Amino acid sequence: MGMLLVIVFVRILESMFVVGAIGSFVVLVLSGIEDLQLLFGREEKNS
Amino acid sequence: MASSPPLSPSNRVRIVVATSVMLTFISYWRAAAIVLNDLASSAFYACGIAEQAVGKSAPWFIVGVMLFSFAVRAVYVESCSMFVRGGVYRVVKEALGGTLAKLSVSALMFDYILTGPISGVSAGQYIVGLINETFVTADQHGWIPRALHNLYNGTPHFNVDLTSVVFALAVTIYYWWENTKGIQESSEKALRVMQITTVMVVILLGWSALTLFKSGYNPVPLPTPANLHFSKESLGFLRHSFPEQSLAKMFGLLGILIAFGHSVLAMSGEESLAQVNRELAHPKLKNLKKAAIVIALYSFIFTGLSALLSVMLIPDAVRVPVYKDNLISGLAMYMWGPLILRLIFRAFVVVVGFLILSGAVNTAIIGSNGVLNRVSEDGVLADWFRFPHRKYGTTSRIINLVVILQIITILASRGDVYVLGEAYAFGVIWSFTFNSLSMLVLRFKYKGVRGWKVPPNITIAGTEIPIGLLSVFLVLLATALVNLATKSVATVAGVSFSVVFFVIFTASEHANRKKYALAKAQMKDHFQLLQSDTVERDTLGIRRGNILVPVRDYNTLTHLRWVLEHSDIREQDVVVMTARISQFGTAAYGLATEQIFSDYEQTLFTRAVSVAESFGKKISLLVVPARDAWSAVAQTAHNLESSTVVAGLSSKVTTAEQAFALGSAWEAIPEPKQQFVLQIVQPEGVVDTFRIGPHTPTMKNEDVILLHRLWLNVTREPGLGQVHHHDILTEALTRFARDYGAHEHDQIVKELRRRSANDGPMPLRRIADQIDTVQPGQSRSDHEAGHPSQDPSDPKGNTS
Repeated sequence: MGMLLVIVFVRILESMFVVGAIGSFVVLVLSGIEDLQLLFGREEKNS
Repeated sequence: MASSPPLSPSNRVRIVVATSVMLTFISYWRAAAIVLNDLASSAFYACGIAEQAVGKSAPWFIVGVMLFSFAVRAVYVESCSMFVRGGVYRVVKEALGGTLAKLSVSALMFDYILTGPISGVSAGQYIVGLINETFVTADQHGWIPRALHNLYNGTPHFNVDLTSVVFALAVTIYYWWENTKGIQESSEKALRVMQITTVMVVILLGWSALTLFKSGYNPVPLPTPANLHFSKESLGFLRHSFPEQSLAKMFGLLGILIAFGHSVLAMSGEESLAQVNRELAHPKLKNLKKAAIVIALYSFIFTGLSALLSVMLIPDAVRVPVYKDNLISGLAMYMWGPLILRLIFRAFVVVVGFLILSGAVNTAIIGSNGVLNRVSEDGVLADWFRFPHRKYGTTSRIINLVVILQIITILASRGDVYVLGEAYAFGVIWSFTFNSLSMLVLRFKYKGVRGWKVPPNITIAGTEIPIGLLSVFLVLLATALVNLATKSVATVAGVSFSVVFFVIFTASEHANRKKYALAKAQMKDHFQLLQSDTVERDTLGIRRGNILVPVRDYNTLTHLRWVLEHSDIREQDVVVMTARISQFGTAAYGLATEQIFSDYEQTLFTRAVSVAESFGKKISLLVVPARDAWSAVAQTAHNLESSTVVAGLSSKVTTAEQAFALGSAWEAIPEPKQQFVLQIVQPEGVVDTFRIGPHTPTMKNEDVILLHRLWLNVTREPGLGQVHHHDILTEALTRFARDYGAHEHDQIVKELRRRSANDGPMPLRRIADQIDTVQPGQSRSDHEAGHPSQDPSDPKGNTS
């Protein structure tokens, strides 16, 4: 039972990490596009 | 004051509290340099620590962390774009409540306090590593004297860990004293350090590329579970539950998460981005984003690539055993080329490491001092800590507390960078986690203005879901939770530290609650706070040509008494101002009105009002938040169109140096601006008067005679009978300007140097000329220059 709980907890952590990492990658891409627009002088549009 | 009856609203003393910090605004390059001084320092130790924990594939995790730091950076940009005031504690309290806010501040304090020891010890490791390596090289060439060789039973060497501890202690104590005295930090210094660091990085990358081409490289194993080799220490509490090496394979992704957690240290310092936000020049958000891009790219290139290169170029046999704590030095030693060049470059690496890491020790003290000041103002830490130093006026008790904790940490670590790094990571990850959680919650709770939001955001049934912010939070939380299990020393130390600070905060808050309620009631009875975004004459209701009296210590108001004694308030208004100073690295958020006008300012102004009442004269009161006192005084005098500033004598510098400091601050104010007179009243009653800004210089008697003689000669020339003295001066200066800008330049400079050496050094005269000194007991009529109501353009009336 104890081991099962550990496994469930670990799987939750892993899921959080994977989902978060994918989302963070999206943040990286979207904010990167904004950064490029900023660097090359185009007007940014804040959400 | 407690026993006096409440005043009616109309009789309450009006105090204008300016809420915008008086700053000399900086470009995004300078802001980026300040942040990188902190962030880039981790490049010197992060990869060494990560490789000891997870094995040879560590550089990939460092690169991953640096990529993730782009997303974390976005969270800090959003937090900076919110127009909230009050410091970390208040912002987190608004989002998560008092308990989590105290825990958050405790984690942040753990982060700040650990920054000092890890940076100091790491700098020591680099320096001692270089000294020992130099001894080895010298010994190989037979340059070590036999006696010294015999003394050490071989090649002379220092104990690396012990010497690093001594070095870290010395640096910490040095900055303790500097902060106690109240040093002024500047963005100029940060920019210079980053320029030197950039030279090092360019050489490092260029030379590494050449070495890769000439000598080849070791491949860096990919970050797969099979390539992870955790040490016993790196599994923390889990080493008792799982066979070491099977853990990563058993869960797969968990191994990656653990390795990521051991590398998260690489992005420590990211939080400094928020602390420079307020200094950024207009347009603030745009410049903040530009600074963030520079920071992210620079740290990615420096920290990420140097981590990869260290594994690619330094042989396995020596990388961890010899260079684990000074990896960039190791990289320098394994470049392609002659030994002497490599040693010289290593020495350069050590110099840069020393500059950047010892700077981080200072940043840690300044940051801790700032955070504890804010929580003390909020009543979460006893006021006792904020009591100003008798001589220097700094919050020395907080500085002492921080430095004592840092010294204990340095001694407890015994120079082990790995242990310090593990503990530091605890503060870093929990501090980031609390911040991102606060931002996440504030998305739903805070409805005020927000300049920018972390993308992407989707709206479902009218509710905006912050996908990006949530994602960053999930990674941070998962990493923080895993670190709790895998960093046993850090968990025990971090939790103990946080609990101790939490208890101190809770007890202080409980003890202060009653006192603060009383103080608040008293303040409402006696003072009327008028919040103003900027300092204007109209807000204060004063006239042009007023007298500005800066005050700081309520025990030294001699200069205020002097002004009240010598001025006629029917002709000139008297404004008493105090600057609420927050140094670089302490102002992540603007201060709230009651933080700017805290109990200390309340006591200070109560005394000032008492002094004014004893003379039967009215004064206007003003509080301005500022980065440094002289900038605040110069800017306020400019805004209020003051004719005179009357200050007390500083405990740290001479009157001439005070005048020079104010003159320098005045020079930084953009045109148009007007000159004013500075009078410094010494405790014994001597008053030194200076002119601030360009003004008619004081002329020596022989120069006046020479001018007159020239005038006599010139007027004898036919047709020049109408020439005035000033025409002679104009002609002479025009010729001087022409010669100085042309072929006579060197000759003029040489001549001026000779003259200056004969006269004695007087560099202060460049900006602030002393024009008079009034001894106590001399009457006003004898010394009109000492009178504040004198026309500032000509206080002596006969200077030219």
